[in-house]
Amino acid sequence: MSALAARIPSREQVGSYLTWRRLPALLAFGLILFALVYIFFLAKIPADNGATNWRTTTFGSAYHDPSSFLRVVLDSLTFASALFIVASGFALIFGLMRTVNMAHGALYLLAGYIAYEVQQKLNGSPGISLDTGQVNTWDWLVPLLIAAPIIMVIGLIIQQALLRWNQGQELRQALITIAVAVIIADQIIAHFPRTVSAGAQRFGGNAVDLTWPGWTDRFVNLHVGGVQYSLARLDVLAIGVAVGVGLWLWLYRTKTGMKIRAGVDDEKMTSALGINIQRTFAIAFMVGCGLAALGAVVWASQSNISSGQDGQWLLNSLVVVIVGGMGSIFGAAAGALLYAFVANFAATYLPSTGPDCCTQYSTIVTFVLIALVLSFRPQGLFGRPG
Amino acid sequence: MNPATWTHQQRVERTIAAIALVVLIIWPAAGWSPYWAHQILIETFLFGIAAASLIFLSAYGGMISLAQTALFGIAGVILGNLATSGGAGGTSKGLHLGWDPTLALVVAIVGTTAIGLIGGAVASRNTGIYFLMITLTYSVIATYTLGQVTKIGGFSGIGGINRYTPGWIGDLLKHPNRLYYIALGTAIVVYVLIRYVVRTPFGVSLQGVRDEPIRMSSLGYAVPLHRTLAFGFAAFLAALAGVLYVWWSGQIAPGNVDLPETISLLIMAVIGGLARIEGAWVGAFAFILMQNYISTSTHIPLVGFGGTLFGGSFNTVIGIIFLVVVIVSPDGLMGLWGRVFESKRETSGGG
Amino acid sequence: MRRHKLRGWKSAAVLAVGVVAVAVWATSSLAASHAATVKIAIMTDCKGAFGFGYELDIGGAQAAFAQYAHGKPTNRAKPSAGMTNISVNGTSVQIVGYGCGNDTVPVAVTETKRLMEKLGADVMVGPLSGDEAVYVANYAKAHPTKTFIIGTAGSEDPTMQIHPANLFRYHGDGAQWNAGVGEIAYKKLGWRKAAIIIDDYSFGWTSGAGMILDFCAVGGNITKRVFPPLNTTDYAPFVRQLPPPGQVDGYFSAVGGTGTSAMLKAYEQAYGALEPSKWIGNLFFGFLGADKTVAPKLVGAYIGGTGTGPGLKTAQAKAYEAVIKKWYGPSKINPADLFVANYYNAGWALVQGLAKSGGQVGAALQAAMPQKLKEGYAVSNGGYATLDSRRQAIQDQYQLQLVKNPDGSVGPTTVAYVPGVDQSFGGLVKPTDPPYGRTVPTCKKVKTPWQGKIKIVKNGVITSAVYK
Repeated sequence: MSALAARIPSREQVGSYLTWRRLPALLAFGLILFALVYIFFLAKIPADNGATNWRTTTFGSAYHDPSSFLRVVLDSLTFASALFIVASGFALIFGLMRTVNMAHGALYLLAGYIAYEVQQKLNGSPGISLDTGQVNTWDWLVPLLIAAPIIMVIGLIIQQALLRWNQGQELRQALITIAVAVIIADQIIAHFPRTVSAGAQRFGGNAVDLTWPGWTDRFVNLHVGGVQYSLARLDVLAIGVAVGVGLWLWLYRTKTGMKIRAGVDDEKMTSALGINIQRTFAIAFMVGCGLAALGAVVWASQSNISSGQDGQWLLNSLVVVIVGGMGSIFGAAAGALLYAFVANFAATYLPSTGPDCCTQYSTIVTFVLIALVLSFRPQGLFGRPG
Repeated sequence: MNPATWTHQQRVERTIAAIALVVLIIWPAAGWSPYWAHQILIETFLFGIAAASLIFLSAYGGMISLAQTALFGIAGVILGNLATSGGAGGTSKGLHLGWDPTLALVVAIVGTTAIGLIGGAVASRNTGIYFLMITLTYSVIATYTLGQVTKIGGFSGIGGINRYTPGWIGDLLKHPNRLYYIALGTAIVVYVLIRYVVRTPFGVSLQGVRDEPIRMSSLGYAVPLHRTLAFGFAAFLAALAGVLYVWWSGQIAPGNVDLPETISLLIMAVIGGLARIEGAWVGAFAFILMQNYISTSTHIPLVGFGGTLFGGSFNTVIGIIFLVVVIVSPDGLMGLWGRVFESKRETSGGG
Repeated sequence: MRRHKLRGWKSAAVLAVGVVAVAVWATSSLAASHAATVKIAIMTDCKGAFGFGYELDIGGAQAAFAQYAHGKPTNRAKPSAGMTNISVNGTSVQIVGYGCGNDTVPVAVTETKRLMEKLGADVMVGPLSGDEAVYVANYAKAHPTKTFIIGTAGSEDPTMQIHPANLFRYHGDGAQWNAGVGEIAYKKLGWRKAAIIIDDYSFGWTSGAGMILDFCAVGGNITKRVFPPLNTTDYAPFVRQLPPPGQVDGYFSAVGGTGTSAMLKAYEQAYGALEPSKWIGNLFFGFLGADKTVAPKLVGAYIGGTGTGPGLKTAQAKAYEAVIKKWYGPSKINPADLFVANYYNAGWALVQGLAKSGGQVGAALQAAMPQKLKEGYAVSNGGYATLDSRRQAIQDQYQLQLVKNPDGSVGPTTVAYVPGVDQSFGGLVKPTDPPYGRTVPTCKKVKTPWQGKIKIVKNGVITSAVYK
């Protein structure tokens, strides 16, 4: 009995917990808790007469409409996969070399456009978007296999020429990569897209897209709640999981991975032990850029590629990696999941009281939550303090 | 301020500053290029103030903030909403409360400082890249809020704000030189204010917090409070810049606070030099000159829209210049300047 | 010590000389103005989302100067190389500069001031984009002695809510461009209930407003409006908010160029294959590159136009296209492109205004600007577009359809002619109304001036048959 009584927090303990400092944490947890209760139980579809209130959403609660809820969950998982693929490359570079590679988004964009050019040429297409029926698996893999090495080489050049000699000066490296990103983004606008149909606008960074292979263009019956889900999106999930497993195996089961982890923990010691840390840096940078390229090919097939997305995906990568925790692959996965779930659920389960409210504010809601998380957990969810 | 104690470098700098100040003060009266007076120099003064807020945080607080443009925009939006009045033929976005412009001005500056204090408090335990990240989220939130919350703004922004200036300033459209002097005066006051704040006990302990936060904390200083107050002060400076901007251009839109504008302000500060406050105006001047003369120049081969480097535009040029500056001198132009004197000192054997 | 002192003063002196030299140079760079020369500036975008419009805009305006004001193109393959010898009834006209905007307001501010204050332009032809035009309208209000003729901006505010006396627009706004498309959906496709997905952005609201006003005016009902924010990476959650295909007869789209194909792909992955008879898009379905990502899937879908009638075979249209080809054929700018056509019309209106005002600018020019303009694609009113009381054009509109051409390419073709569309949609929209947004306009049934008068266009010929 006394053991139990000892467990109950005393008034002083509770009081000392509820300080101003804890406010962001309490706020964030409170919001998430309320959101979960709202999504699961409180939400309602619009009434028959069209009346709405703060509880009205497009789908209603998860209890009332589990199929829609499941679809949104799957959308979030698949989007998180795509985020993870791109952000894991960023996390690898950031974690090992403490380099904030602000050119990550620009390299993503370049990979997307190169892959587009390759896919168009392979199909002999005159700059028109391909139908899934015209694309087979090889037509999708070859652009990836050509774009990724090109981006990896460019990444290597950037690292060796501009980042190797100022290793350790984080701010300087961030600024250098910002400059590189500005230059690359501008050059992309000047030289892509190149394959456009007659009379269409050449260059200018217009939107173009890649196409998934034909066999992905169907729905899969999940046998749960009558939900049919797009096979293409499930493929994105599969690729993301494969990337995660592959990275884990590489980092935890190979020698190079061991060196990278050692370098993340203590760079000087690793170097003192005679390990060629510069070569490890170069390999890690190249792999990071390769992952950006893979992410670009995947998401350009899923959606499209156009100028302006470099800033978008750099922001996405930054958010995922820093919220998840610096440099850890688990952190990148956790950050991707948090970001994707908040963004998707905000966009579907925020109240829909009318056209003016509120799902279009999903971006603002997502970023407010991210600011709160960063505030009470400054090192990220899975980061190590200090 | 005893001239006998000045170093050689300081002597040169202060002479140049004195001459420059004289030139700037007599510029409009002398009738030299009105375009320079009403565009390039005013822009230099006000963006210099915004850059100075960034450099204050980086040089004396050790925090690189990407939220300064957001605060700049927030001040403009508050002023736009409060000062303008609506109705047919008026500006078409915003609340149009039609308050007294002086009151609106005070509320805009105080309101932005308050928002800065809150933002600083939320971010006060983040350092380094995490602080950068959280200020970046502030910037994103501000961009979307200014655009999507149409009651207070909208994508074309609030316009015509420079028609509602306080009575004691008068009509800035009829007397553009007044804005020139107000901007110049504010810039000088901001500079002196920063130099003063840095010498106060708060400023000194802030620099201690920058260098050794753990030691300062163990000595009993409230580290998060210092950072919060520093951020609030920087927000105050950014608010001044924002108010000057809307008086100059008349319009504030989400395009003024988005990511490219944030990066532009960072580029201004870095080119000038993140370690010295003077770098703010030096960097702003360099950037605005380049923006005005390079982006459409056809005189310089390979540069200018007609035949740009590798087919790119002004952005490629500014990117290359920025890259060169950061590689050659991470402390920007002021760092280069300082190194000139260092080498002189060395060659002259410390004479 | 003394040598150091001297060096210090030396460098200061050098700097002072430098400053004075720069000041003198800057002052002298202000062009010496001849009393009689009219100075005009062409404001356009050279970077950002509409950077490609640079050559198109300048080419259109300068073609008008060449045709009607003796202008000589410096380089017929590159309009931005310049034009000389422009004169209107003996008054010399000089193009002092081209504005280089990027679709955002801050750059519009610096470019406008550079053109109008540094280079001293009396008249501006431009700008290109909607948000820039709102700034220019406010600037115009503050500078009544300068004259502004909008280039291609589609925003509503400059002429509806702000409407300064020195601002003219000889083409429709983004809502006018879509007039008629709702009626085609109701009558030809049989839509009664529709959902609309719109970029949460000013042009999206304006463009979507045209579709909503038109569809609701004829009796349709917009059951749901979805607004994905700008820079959305994943359109899936927004597409899921659209009602499934069984619950609506069709979907309107005003999602912009960078998101159009992403949104449509997300729709396919949520609801299955796209049906052309169930989708109507705005200009972004048919132009600016998006047509090549959208068109293959949506051959047969109707899309909103931009006030030009590509492929129209009237004598006036052919004459206009010949003018463009005559002066800037080698540059390959497309006369039916809205950027070319609208800047051409603005340039020609300016020439007529200067002719009537005897070369004077300011209030005299503003009073002399033509109240009606013989535009290339105008058919009603004797082939003239007219200005309303707020100097906004009442213009014929053309709605398009995506087709597969015999050579395998896909693209838009003109299928409908909508006579005399005005900005107020026949009185539905008033200057005291709030600007287009998420809840504005509401869905109201009303008789627009062109209801029941939309003529079918076949092979470039306007038939007498109307859409029933």
